[in-house]
Amino acid sequence: MRWNSRGPIIALLVVLAGCGGGGGSSSSSTPGTVTPPTTIVPPLTNFAALIVDSGPAAIAGGPRAYIGDDIPYVTLTICVPDTATCQTIDHVVVDTGSVGLRILATVLNPGIIAALPQQKDAAANPVGECLAFVDGYAFGSVRHVDLKIGGEAVGNMPIQVVGDGDRFAAVPAPCSAGGGNSLTAVKDIGGNGILGIGVTTNDCGPRCTVSGGTSATAYYDCPPSGCAAIIARAATTTAPFQQLPNPVAAMAVNNNGSIISLPAVPDSGARTLAGTLYFGIGTQTNNALGSATVVATSTSANGSAGLFTVVYKAASLTNSFIDSGSNSHFFTDAAIPGCTDTNLKGYYCPPTPLSLALVVQGRNGANVSVALPLFDAKPLLLGPNAAVPGIGADPSATASLKPVPRSFDLGLPFFFGRNVYVGIEGRTAGTATGPFFAF
Amino acid sequence: MRVRATIVAVALGAAAFAPAAAELGGGRRGLEADRTHLTATIASTTVATHQLHTLTLANGDVVREFATADGTVFAVAWDGPAHPDLRQLLGPAFDTLQAEATTARRRPREAMTMTNDTLVVRSAGHPGAFHGYAYLPHLVPPGFAADALE
Repeated sequence: MRWNSRGPIIALLVVLAGCGGGGGSSSSSTPGTVTPPTTIVPPLTNFAALIVDSGPAAIAGGPRAYIGDDIPYVTLTICVPDTATCQTIDHVVVDTGSVGLRILATVLNPGIIAALPQQKDAAANPVGECLAFVDGYAFGSVRHVDLKIGGEAVGNMPIQVVGDGDRFAAVPAPCSAGGGNSLTAVKDIGGNGILGIGVTTNDCGPRCTVSGGTSATAYYDCPPSGCAAIIARAATTTAPFQQLPNPVAAMAVNNNGSIISLPAVPDSGARTLAGTLYFGIGTQTNNALGSATVVATSTSANGSAGLFTVVYKAASLTNSFIDSGSNSHFFTDAAIPGCTDTNLKGYYCPPTPLSLALVVQGRNGANVSVALPLFDAKPLLLGPNAAVPGIGADPSATASLKPVPRSFDLGLPFFFGRNVYVGIEGRTAGTATGPFFAF
Repeated sequence: MRVRATIVAVALGAAAFAPAAAELGGGRRGLEADRTHLTATIASTTVATHQLHTLTLANGDVVREFATADGTVFAVAWDGPAHPDLRQLLGPAFDTLQAEATTARRRPREAMTMTNDTLVVRSAGHPGAFHGYAYLPHLVPPGFAADALE
């Protein structure tokens, strides 16, 4: 809304002074004609198209079929490094709640997966990785790609190929010990992959720079017998990489954060919603911070990065966060009626739309009031629209006994009608230093 | 749900004959197993309604185990960047939670949770920031304020 510059900006034609002199040019122009020297400022390319739609075809059929609701997608291309062997992958979930690019093995062409180089450890064995999510875990190989997204590129960048076969087929015990499902199918994540562009520079950070331990999120040494030993991996954002970097942090420029820009949605929803993912904050004419309020979050030194406080109904929810990968708001309020349909267990179905009064408090003293609309989830989720406003769910998915500890998860509906800035830890954007969210 | 509750009760009964097991519903000897398995340090205090054992893990997680006067762990809470080893911490209740998580119809990003008469689990967060708790309602001592779990 506060944002309208999108697409090619202005191609400035700068006519240099003295061009009529003709001396000293090595131009091959025909004698007698004058070709004025010009400088073309190329159009900005630090963005990629976002789409909120019903998702990849694979989620629409078979058992557990569903329509993707409030899932933001981007299309990107991965190539075998330094080759023209590439695959363009659509419907990759844009996720401010995780970090790193993950692609499901099942969506990769056989030729690509055979050719993508595996990252090797000190023992010359391939490296495996487990990443814990709140609903399960992703396990697979670490492979390197040349990434192209919008007008940006990152060379030789590690990604996780989730559900890879061979020696990666067996999930190590510490990985599954966190519980939940092994996320290997398109239906498990609602997309063909996950583009994690959260507030940290790497997907594990200092915790994974030491070997051993029992963490669910960890890197593994993977000899032919399988992945067992947890190994140390450096957290870097330039080649040679080890841990998966935040792809934005690894870009050569425009690497201090990103902006998710989505228009407002009618109360009844929309079949599709087009927006823009901008790379960089305050680095170009199209990504200024403007009047957005910077909400500083917890840092990696605090343990969990990316958290701030939401005051809701007089309760201070100190583990709150903004997550484009959450396809509704997740919070607990026993005063709001839950949906009664079995398929909608856990969602809120207020008989009339509500406006929830939140105060977002940053660790920098920021104090922002937010009026969060909440609609009856039933007609929105059972209808055909993929972009639906203001739906919420109780993550306990039952009659509430106790709220989830101190947490308000502002999901994708929060992004509608505003620009949400994600500032990466340790990177500066004007006077602001990440990690932060701004809106 | 009732069927699952019965299974839990049986499992917990079995655990009572093997108190060295580290788990929700297990005894204090399990704490040492948790400490070793999780590479943690333990600080313990006793308050009016329960014993509180705080495990600080090398990976930055903090796990709190709540025990009755006889040392039986009736609740576990976690907070931190790495998802905790719930298989270790929950013991037999982990299988109950898994059964719920893997069979219930779910959309992406719905956290693992469950509620029945013998097991309540709440969890939330995202990669790099997890928090939650689990408790056995039938073992919660009188006067215990559930707010302490948050």
